[in-house]
Amino acid sequence: MQILVLTKPVPDPAAGAERLGADFRLDRAASPTVVNGNDEYALEAALQLVEAHGGEVIVLSMAPANAAETMRKALAMGATRGIHVTDPALEGADMPTTIRVLAAEAKAEPFDLLLAGIDTSDGMGGAVAAGVAAQLGLPLLSSAASIEPIRETETVRVKRLSAKGYDVIEAPMPAVVACTQALGAPRYPSLKGIMAARSREIASRSLADIGPDVAPPGGWATKVLEAEPPSARAAGRVVREPAADAAREIADFLADRRII
Amino acid sequence: MAPRILAVAEVADGSLTKLSTEVATVARQLAEAAGGEALGLVVDASPDAAAQELATYLPTVIAVTNPAVTSEVVAPHVVAAVAKLIEEGVTHVVLGVTPDGRDVAGSLVGLTGLGLLANADTVTWQDAGPVTHASVLAGKAVTSSTLTGDRGIVTVRPGGVTAEPAASAGTVERRDATAPAVPAAKVLDRVAEAGAEVSLEDAKVVVVGGRGVGGPDGFRIVEELAQALGGVVGATRASVDAGWIPYARQIGQTGRVVKPELYLGLGVSGAMQHRVGMQASKAIVIVNRDPDAPMAEVADLFVVGDLFEVVPALTAEIRARKGG
Amino acid sequence: MTASPPATGPVRLTEEHLLLRDAVRVLADERIAPRAADIDRQAEWPDDVRRLLAEHDILAIPFAERHGGLGADLLTLILAIEQISRACATSGLIVAVQALGAIPIQVGGSEEQQDRWLPGIAKGEKLIAFGLTEAEAGSDPSALRTRAEREGDEYVINGAKRFISHGSVADYVVVFAVTNPDAEKPSRRLSAILVETDRPGFKVTRLEHKMGIRGSPTAELALDNVRVPVGNRLGEEGQGFAIAMQTFERSRPGIAAQAVGIAQGALEVASRYAKERRQFGKPIAELQMIQAMLADMDAATEAARQLLYTACQEIDAGHDAARWAAICKLVAGDTAMRVTTDAVQVLGGYGYVDEYPVERMMRDAKITQLYEGTQQIQRLIVARSLLARS
Repeated sequence: MQILVLTKPVPDPAAGAERLGADFRLDRAASPTVVNGNDEYALEAALQLVEAHGGEVIVLSMAPANAAETMRKALAMGATRGIHVTDPALEGADMPTTIRVLAAEAKAEPFDLLLAGIDTSDGMGGAVAAGVAAQLGLPLLSSAASIEPIRETETVRVKRLSAKGYDVIEAPMPAVVACTQALGAPRYPSLKGIMAARSREIASRSLADIGPDVAPPGGWATKVLEAEPPSARAAGRVVREPAADAAREIADFLADRRII
Repeated sequence: MAPRILAVAEVADGSLTKLSTEVATVARQLAEAAGGEALGLVVDASPDAAAQELATYLPTVIAVTNPAVTSEVVAPHVVAAVAKLIEEGVTHVVLGVTPDGRDVAGSLVGLTGLGLLANADTVTWQDAGPVTHASVLAGKAVTSSTLTGDRGIVTVRPGGVTAEPAASAGTVERRDATAPAVPAAKVLDRVAEAGAEVSLEDAKVVVVGGRGVGGPDGFRIVEELAQALGGVVGATRASVDAGWIPYARQIGQTGRVVKPELYLGLGVSGAMQHRVGMQASKAIVIVNRDPDAPMAEVADLFVVGDLFEVVPALTAEIRARKGG
Repeated sequence: MTASPPATGPVRLTEEHLLLRDAVRVLADERIAPRAADIDRQAEWPDDVRRLLAEHDILAIPFAERHGGLGADLLTLILAIEQISRACATSGLIVAVQALGAIPIQVGGSEEQQDRWLPGIAKGEKLIAFGLTEAEAGSDPSALRTRAEREGDEYVINGAKRFISHGSVADYVVVFAVTNPDAEKPSRRLSAILVETDRPGFKVTRLEHKMGIRGSPTAELALDNVRVPVGNRLGEEGQGFAIAMQTFERSRPGIAAQAVGIAQGALEVASRYAKERRQFGKPIAELQMIQAMLADMDAATEAARQLLYTACQEIDAGHDAARWAAICKLVAGDTAMRVTTDAVQVLGGYGYVDEYPVERMMRDAKITQLYEGTQQIQRLIVARSLLARS
């Protein structure tokens, strides 16, 4: 199988150093980047699929120039190669542009499945997988908790998380799958994998390689007006008392707020 | 061009979801502020009941009868109906942030190239367009964003606005389905799982069990407390990864985002990825043995103690006060 | 003239170094740290940890790819030893001793010998020990007595070794023995010979009960007419001393890494404790005397670490390797002793009992001032290098 995985380097949420720059765009140079959390679940699912069915995993990312190293972790986990689309003109790109760029690049790589994490921890868009599927005219199987390719019918079957549990859905391949955490924890790259990643290729592509119609001439479709830290909560109270007293304190607190 | 704002509704078991009523309210309020029109859309195998209910919020509702949605995923069909309405003059599309809503929004961006203002907590109309407030960077910042053009898509989180019916009921226009532009996956089976049917986003009280709960047995006392409070049980990623409780209950960056009246965290340390999912709760009460847990930063009341002692005592206290 | 600044420039940790370091750290925290107290208490060789390190290719780090290794640089090995030692000094030593024992083969062995022995060692299936020290020959290798007499196409080895790390679990011991007793220069008397420990006449005669690194078996070995093929000799006859010196250049940073790891582990325990422990109505971390101690511990550990990383770069580049190896081991060992002693002090009475790991860390730290060349030997090397330059 050929599986393309969309990954997006995002500020490391654990480092806690994310910042918006003066123009309210994410200051991506300000903090160490990691592969977006949910994308790692997608990547892990892809690696397990090729381990079971043979084939290759290729990671595709649209990101600033300094983010190529982040893809190296994906290669260390077992991806065969990476494609890094980067161009100064794409800085701060809006969602329609991001979708067009990724779709254009994906069109150039034949695949059976295109996987993406269901959300990004920095911009919280979550719509990229759907947009790319629409651009490519491919079926979308979203909120995936399990992915099963079926050889005989060239289809893919997915457990899609629902409000009540899950639906079992199926579509012909090639298809786009938006992945959730329920697929299973990503592996930690092995030392051998980390060393092997050295010799794996990360191809660089610019807008010139992709084509002229991708970035909108009139500027981005959306704009951030302002960014502020969230309103601070008033400092809380710490209670250190034996259980029965503590229970009463909590109950009083709840009664004050008319919760009980 | 006068704005025409479309509220895309979702149907569950034949009736309108709570979030759809909020979405409809948002659309109507935006249209009023913009001096434009609002309308609603319901796509379902039998849309009439939901459409009638939606009409109590909006002057016009398009009800598309589409039998295919019983055996196929719904998003591509909704996308087809919305695309048609955009052709007919809809300028702005408002959807709720749900798995289907996200799929529809994303597909529309892919098909039309329109901009998307995502995950809005609030939306208002200012000057010539909608302005959304959304939490980004794992809750580290709140941004105000707007569209640069005169058309676009907005997705709205639950709880951002109180649903408000219109002064008078609107009309329902019935239509047939349009074939989807994008192929729809087939639904082979719908499985209900025990414990998954709870709606975390709608609950007034959420009681969360973290790593400190220790195991599925520990979750029993969490469940009892939740029952006493008339609330629902949620989980952190640690509890879900440990297999103590299904992923459907997970609150956090890679799970659900909740804003209940009361969030009660038991044995929850408060890793950033979890706090993102609950820090907008109105009241936050924590019980944890470790006074240095990061959760202390957002707690209104932080009880340093052993949850296995405090929680049963609390459950008893609440039952006593409720006169039970 | 003052000491030469590092020719390779400031230390550069690549993305690969960071990935490797973090992978080892995760393993150390999740799988090794929970075992540390027990390993010390039972004072038993932790073969499960050895298997874990082998499985995760950590033991393969210092070996060339063609021998099944990772082909990584010295800094990578050091990063791994440091992370593991943070959790457990005995476990960190497993990596260090495996690397140490193999260096004579890497620097002195022929290609055929390397191909013969290194793959098994890289896989962690074959353990190897470094057999230089004797009861009467510690700091002074010229007093070495073990003899290897040539008989046809064999050597017959007689003698005893003392304080050999992993001596009782090793499959191979690189034995340094006198082959040229009449050589003019004392430094030309020795040869390095690899002895398979299952050969007749090879015996473990004693296991030491130590202050620290108690899970690491430290053995006394007796060689009684042990016969090995001439083909087991590494390098030429009389080259043994030179091989040993070359070995130390690459192995001393490993001990420095163990020391820095121990110091870091102790610092973390002490800092956490200081935030939780309340006296006089507040956490002791708010008391200035505690803050001063913690600050000095942090500064010293960081300085030792940065010096060590720089030393790795310089040694890999071949610049004044002996001096860099000695200087980083000297500083790191003294730092570990000081930081762990202070960590016990911060914890007060609780630091003295085994409820907290700092008493073990302090006992573990002491050896880093003793083995792989005592601190006094390191000072001689540093002084010699300095005075030769100025």
